[in-house]
Amino acid sequence: MKLTIERSVLLKSLGHVQSVVERRNTIPILSNVKLDATPDGLKLNATDMDLEIVETAEAQVQDAGATTAPAHTLHDIVRKLPDGSQIELTYNAEDSQLALRSGRSRFSLSCLPVEDFPAMVGGEFSHNFAVSAGDLRALIDRTRFAISTEETRFYLNGIYLHATKSDGVDVLRAVATDGHRLARFEVPLPEGAGGMPGVIVPRKTVGELRKLIDETGMDVSISLSETKVRFGFDEATLTSKLIDGTFPDYERVIPTENDKVMEVDRKLIADAVDRVSAISTEKSRAIKIALEKGVVTLSASSPEAGSAVEEVEASFDAGPLEIGFNSRYLMDILGQIEGEAARFDMADAASPTVIREVSDGAAIYVLMPMRV
Amino acid sequence: MSLRLLPPTLINQIAAGEVVERPASAVKELVENAIDAGAARVDVTLSEGGRALIAVQDDGRGMTPDDLALAVERHATSKLPSEDLFDIGFLGFRGEALPSIGSVARMTLTSRTAEADSAWRIQVEGGVKSAPEPAAGQRGTRVEVRDLFYATPARLKFLKTPRTETQHAADVINRLGMAHPEVAFTLTDGTRSVVKLGATQGDLFRRRLDRLSAVIGRDFFDNALPVDAAREGLRLTGHIGLPTFNRGNAQQQYLFVNGRPVKDRLLTGAVRGAYADFLASDRHAILALYLEVPPRDVDVNVHPAKAEVRFRDQQLVRGLIVSALRHALAEAGHRASTTVSLGALGAARPEGQPQRPALPLGRSGGQSAWSWTPPPRPSQDEVDAAYAAQAPQSGYGGLYEQPTRLPNLSAPPQARSVESHADGRPAPPSFAEAMAAVDLDSPPPAASEHPLGVARAQLHATYIVAQTADGIVIVDQHAAHERLVYERMKQAMDAGGVARQMLLLPEVVELEEAAADRVIARAEELGQLGLVLEGFGPGTILVREVPALLGDCDVKGLIEDLADELADLGEALALKDRLADVCGTMACHGSVRSGRLLNAEEMNALLRQMEATPHSGQCNHGRPTYVELKLKDIERLFGRR
Ligand SMILES: Nc1ncnc2c1ncn2[C@@H]1O[C@H](COP(=O)(O)OP(=O)(O)OP(=O)(O)O)[C@@H](O)[C@H]1O
Ligand SMILES: [Mg+2]
Repeated sequence: MKLTIERSVLLKSLGHVQSVVERRNTIPILSNVKLDATPDGLKLNATDMDLEIVETAEAQVQDAGATTAPAHTLHDIVRKLPDGSQIELTYNAEDSQLALRSGRSRFSLSCLPVEDFPAMVGGEFSHNFAVSAGDLRALIDRTRFAISTEETRFYLNGIYLHATKSDGVDVLRAVATDGHRLARFEVPLPEGAGGMPGVIVPRKTVGELRKLIDETGMDVSISLSETKVRFGFDEATLTSKLIDGTFPDYERVIPTENDKVMEVDRKLIADAVDRVSAISTEKSRAIKIALEKGVVTLSASSPEAGSAVEEVEASFDAGPLEIGFNSRYLMDILGQIEGEAARFDMADAASPTVIREVSDGAAIYVLMPMRV
Repeated sequence: MSLRLLPPTLINQIAAGEVVERPASAVKELVENAIDAGAARVDVTLSEGGRALIAVQDDGRGMTPDDLALAVERHATSKLPSEDLFDIGFLGFRGEALPSIGSVARMTLTSRTAEADSAWRIQVEGGVKSAPEPAAGQRGTRVEVRDLFYATPARLKFLKTPRTETQHAADVINRLGMAHPEVAFTLTDGTRSVVKLGATQGDLFRRRLDRLSAVIGRDFFDNALPVDAAREGLRLTGHIGLPTFNRGNAQQQYLFVNGRPVKDRLLTGAVRGAYADFLASDRHAILALYLEVPPRDVDVNVHPAKAEVRFRDQQLVRGLIVSALRHALAEAGHRASTTVSLGALGAARPEGQPQRPALPLGRSGGQSAWSWTPPPRPSQDEVDAAYAAQAPQSGYGGLYEQPTRLPNLSAPPQARSVESHADGRPAPPSFAEAMAAVDLDSPPPAASEHPLGVARAQLHATYIVAQTADGIVIVDQHAAHERLVYERMKQAMDAGGVARQMLLLPEVVELEEAAADRVIARAEELGQLGLVLEGFGPGTILVREVPALLGDCDVKGLIEDLADELADLGEALALKDRLADVCGTMACHGSVRSGRLLNAEEMNALLRQMEATPHSGQCNHGRPTYVELKLKDIERLFGRR
């Protein structure tokens, strides 16, 4: 194997690849990236056995061939080479070393046999469709913050993606919850996605996917089966196992009858929550919201630091209501709302509250109150 | 098939199988008989670990020839006057011990009452008794048991080395000795004195403390807090060690119920609960508790060796123990253990001194298990001395262990200054810098108003040195402040309640039915700690709210831990532990670091807060936050005393 490649091209690809590779590995070959020089260019491939990325980078290939080299080390080296330099990669099978030359720098990296590199069995995909980069980005961004990090409830450790009907319209919907709050966002169902199985895309995959979306403006192709999902970009393909579990019947916990409705300027209330919660030193960051006609009063107190109160103008017609929330959760949600006004649909201090944009129902957030 | 009634010898041997498991069990029965007979002094001799000979001599009331003949008969007892198994005022009540021992060994009883002018003797061999005959003997009773288990060789195979068996016997005697400080006990194995507990004097608390110190080690004397509490007819007394005076296992936690040493898991749990705020979970308190329960409220007849009891109301007993201990610990305020300062004093030994402490440190000799000095290798004499003084408490293998270094002192002294470097602050400030901040002219304080004294200097931006009326105090500023912050947070939590996050998706946890029931039975207590749950069909628990402090937590794991603990210890510690952990971490972040320069006002303010805050003498892990050196200790250092 012998090729020449531009530093910036290799760096970009390695950037994608190395973040799939775990820092600590008990299986040595999983620390390596597979380098495959083909007439089409250099194919890079990395996996953690659950998630695989394959990316093709433009390169002048002199001799085709393949090997595997330590991904993080290679990335580090390439990152530190001067911008605009050319890199020559040569694999010497006799001593299993990958020689990297650029300008006056020379590196020699120990390789592991390419035959040992695990290949993810593709299997058959039952559904293929394309989503615009913008839609996919929104599906992720609006919901990702609510993914649970608690690993015992593994089925909550990802975004639940499924096709369903919303007010009679077919939609592709993303849902995430950690059991305290829930985020739901939907886009019109892309052609070909009808009848797709509901899948839970793991958190790590979501993260890698999000990075790749940022670098493309094109549609992303999605292929699905019961156990795997594949996201296709121009140069890269991300294939991931799905979380093998049942996502809870989330619709049951989204209240539809909440009749105490408050509408409030999103920025005003977000800033007020931020200020008031500064007083609560506890990790729990409890904040109280008292509602009366036309005004909402936010308050927090801590035996250590004292107390804070702030009033925000709001439209509210129902009887008085007092309800407690985790201010951090509230900020997370308000941070996701794009429009100018936020709407809170409430029932009482012990039932879930629905928060959404006033004008747009594509994204809704459900937040369980706190007892304070 | 032919059914038949077993001959009496066989019946006794079967009973012996339960009552006499090893030489130490025979010792236990015989010493208990001596205590029941009102002895003031009990001397035990073993040879070959009790296998060849066990002799127990007492100076109690003795027996007449008729008594002797009856005493070795099965179910003959003088101790159950009212035919009521719940009216037990003696250690014995079954009339089973002597015949059992007599069925598996050659036993001789020699006894003389106060009135009789000579002693009488009776012999039992393999269950067959001889007629009483006159013999020479002093007042009281001497029981000799030879060739134990000769009649049941299978038992012999299970005996350990003579040394180990002797150790078990010593353990038994020490435990009985702690329960009966008014009686003097000795144990010799022919050549060495293994146990030597002199009769004690003074009021009950004083006598007990002396006896406990004789068994546990001299340092217990200086580091014990008295306990005295009563509730609903129960009374709990005893002594408990300061949290800073801890050890790595729970073997030195003794419980006596109506004068009877017992083992009860309830104790371990209750003790952990009471000390939870002061000890890391791998450190254990040292204590001896004496519980007096109306005989009707406790069943002592549940274990062949009477090593366990059953309380009618477990919760009541546990509650009493936990609250009495907490109360005693709260009273102790900022006291930290003296071993800490003595250890520090020893560590200050000038160079060139021999490795073994040549300083006349009195109560901190080289032999005690609590000695801070790790001697290179104990000599045989030292081993023997240690063996006599405290061996049973260090476990059966403890004989050969080197005296343990006090865990409190094991952190290397450099650790803190390293930490201060890591902080990126000017770690060792110039002396002038540190001193300049302090008002050196303030008068030394009166002992009563400021026990922790007046700050004189800050050293290495880490330690505050204060002058007290009769010594100096060195405070670890980070540890001390961390504790203050932690105590404040806990108070706030107690006052304001634990904020609870309601669950959008209530968590369903499946357990064994009994485990689930145990957790549900404590739902109210758990609710106060922020965990709201309810039953949801057999073996299933539905969790509706969790403490907000814990965030997105592993609810299932928490419930499982709670269920296990309720089964093992009867205490719901897992939740408190986790809350305390979070508080502890936050306290750590929110407190003054090592490496931060403090001025005189700040230092004095810290000292005053420590005096005012309960439990400020140790950090959350049982390490001391300050040490005190008395002037007389310092004088010793310089050979002035
Ligand atoms: N050292 C002793 N001094 C005086 N009397 C004794 C002594 N040892 C035993 N006895 C008498 O012998 C009786 C039988 O003793 P034994 O130990 O067999 O039974 P117990 O103590 O009554 O009950 P248990 O089987 O529960 O120990 C006692 O009740 C007591 O009257
Ligand atoms: Mg007896």
